[in-house]
Amino acid sequence: MATILTVDDSRSVRTIVAKQVKDLGFEVEEAEDGVQGLSKLGEREYDLVLLDVTMPNLDGPGMLAKMREIGNKTPVIMLTSESKRSVVSGVMKIGIADYILKPFKPEELKAKVLSVLQGEGGAEEVLAVSSEPPPAPAEPAARVEAGKQFVDVLVVDDMENVHKKLRAMLPNHVSLNGVTSAQAALQTCRQRVYRVALVDTEIPDVDSAVLAQQLKVLQPHAAFVALALRTTNDVVGEARAQGFDNVLFKPFNQDNVDDFLAQYFDNQDLLSAEENVLKAAPFAGRADRIDKYYTRIGETFNSLLTKVAAACFEDVILDVSAAPTTGDRLAKFLLAAAEQAKQVGIRFSVVGTPELQKILNSYTETKELRFHASVAEAQAAAQA
Amino acid sequence: MGAERLSEQLEQIVLKRIAEDSLVLPTLPSVVTKALEVLKDPDVSFKHVGTIIERDPVLAARLLRAATSAAFAGGTKKVTLPEALTRLGARAVRTLLVEATAQKVFVSRDPKIAESMKRVWQHSVAVATLSRDVLALSGNADSEAAYLAGLLHDVGKPVVASMLLEFERQVTEVYNRPFIDSAEWVTVIGRTHRAVGVALAEKWQMPEQVTRCIRDCAEYDNADRSSLVNIVCFSNSLAKKTGIYAGTIDADEVDALVMIGRSIIGANDEIIKTLTRGLKERVANLYD
Repeated sequence: MATILTVDDSRSVRTIVAKQVKDLGFEVEEAEDGVQGLSKLGEREYDLVLLDVTMPNLDGPGMLAKMREIGNKTPVIMLTSESKRSVVSGVMKIGIADYILKPFKPEELKAKVLSVLQGEGGAEEVLAVSSEPPPAPAEPAARVEAGKQFVDVLVVDDMENVHKKLRAMLPNHVSLNGVTSAQAALQTCRQRVYRVALVDTEIPDVDSAVLAQQLKVLQPHAAFVALALRTTNDVVGEARAQGFDNVLFKPFNQDNVDDFLAQYFDNQDLLSAEENVLKAAPFAGRADRIDKYYTRIGETFNSLLTKVAAACFEDVILDVSAAPTTGDRLAKFLLAAAEQAKQVGIRFSVVGTPELQKILNSYTETKELRFHASVAEAQAAAQA
Repeated sequence: MGAERLSEQLEQIVLKRIAEDSLVLPTLPSVVTKALEVLKDPDVSFKHVGTIIERDPVLAARLLRAATSAAFAGGTKKVTLPEALTRLGARAVRTLLVEATAQKVFVSRDPKIAESMKRVWQHSVAVATLSRDVLALSGNADSEAAYLAGLLHDVGKPVVASMLLEFERQVTEVYNRPFIDSAEWVTVIGRTHRAVGVALAEKWQMPEQVTRCIRDCAEYDNADRSSLVNIVCFSNSLAKKTGIYAGTIDADEVDALVMIGRSIIGANDEIIKTLTRGLKERVANLYD
């Protein structure tokens, strides 16, 4: 367990710091000035020192200088109410890992302590190089910041009807927030994490490129898509020049919205996995897009099946209760999936509705598939 | 007279002229003054504003170009000047008018300072752009004030540089004496430009918070963390760290300002990367 030394002449600051550091699971010891701090450092090794600047007897810069003089390389985070650049520049030259201005927020202290202890080096060189590509769209589960609600789509358009139209064309499982002003967009982006932000290019009094750039600061992982009218101009080229990743044309049509979904809500969403149980999401598009739905599910099944096999499961259970049963597309997909499972040596079971059971029984090729009415039943059968 | 003594005297002359209100400062063109005046009325018609601005065809063309850029409506069709102003909105029009005027202040015909002033202008645009984006962290949408504050934070530099050119002409041509070297030029400008910038901002009747930024943005104000001063101070250090600056910088001090700003503004590594990604290209493309 890492041990941290907090050096500060204020008992209340030491108490607050000690509590927060202990909450992180680390041990903490205290010193009330630089002399005591050096004495403590002489007795044992610490993993990190949190050091104030202004203290009696020996101040922070003085203690830091003596530490480095005697070869003590313990990382130091300055924790101070001193914000003069000359002072901070001075201690940076001697060697600090990071800096926190008092009064500080607990999350800043925790983030910086963890960053230094985990070897990330605190305030490293982080400026983006010009040629660096933009970040990939967010991965919801992995990216959600603590305490922030995750929402799939943000629509920034002064016309409320635009939000309603898009809401009606997106599947129910895709969440959406709509706002009508730049101020509201900035506010919601401070409170939530979005995967895709759609920004209208014609909001009165708003430079959409500037607004998009501001929103990017708050949503570094989101993809930014311009909402624009179809014109004879190169709208996509113009939008990309303004920093947007893509364009969704207004008025919306289902084909464009489905393409948008396919691009930003990857196939993984249509087929989710929990251990060896794979579950198909409902289909919410137009009837003539069912083929596309099954093509995408098929592509995802391949990669998920590989993961199930790699995890040494003997069975894979595919729950298609929510998948559309119109025509023979589902039966064909299940037949192909069963064949793939057989090739990797995994037993294949299907969970579905009674209607699906009837369909599968009506084809010679599929009536032999292991069919169950629920996931629990399939799991029990697999363990038997 | 030694060069050091001369630079001190020059500094005193600049500061004395400010104190005595005898400093000759660039003025806002009458078209801009009039347009800014009528734009104070929230009910003003853009047709009326358009009739004022169209007296300056270059300015009118600049506003039309801004309004028909992709950012403001997809550049779909040709628009009249009142339509362009309506599309931009009063706040953006005000900013564009000040920006067009300020840019002229940074243009010099003298080859000795022309290139430096162009780089100071590019730095100012970078700081303005960053300030507008950093402001988003506070959830505040008044990006025009942040942009103006960033844009004008160094506006005193070209004014002092022009004065030094005039002093140099007098000293070398009239009195046949050597003038200060380039390092001392930088020192004199560094010591006086903020006071001159404040005088200019007051003359141009800029918002008080913009003037305050020009005066105080060399250091952070830790009594008011969300102040525009802190936003411009952080943006200034980020622009320098990204390599967009003129003259020489103290790299240690810039690093210190970035480190303090990370804490005071609440910017993590990811935010800083987003802020600075493609900044050089964005600034270069704005004023080709």
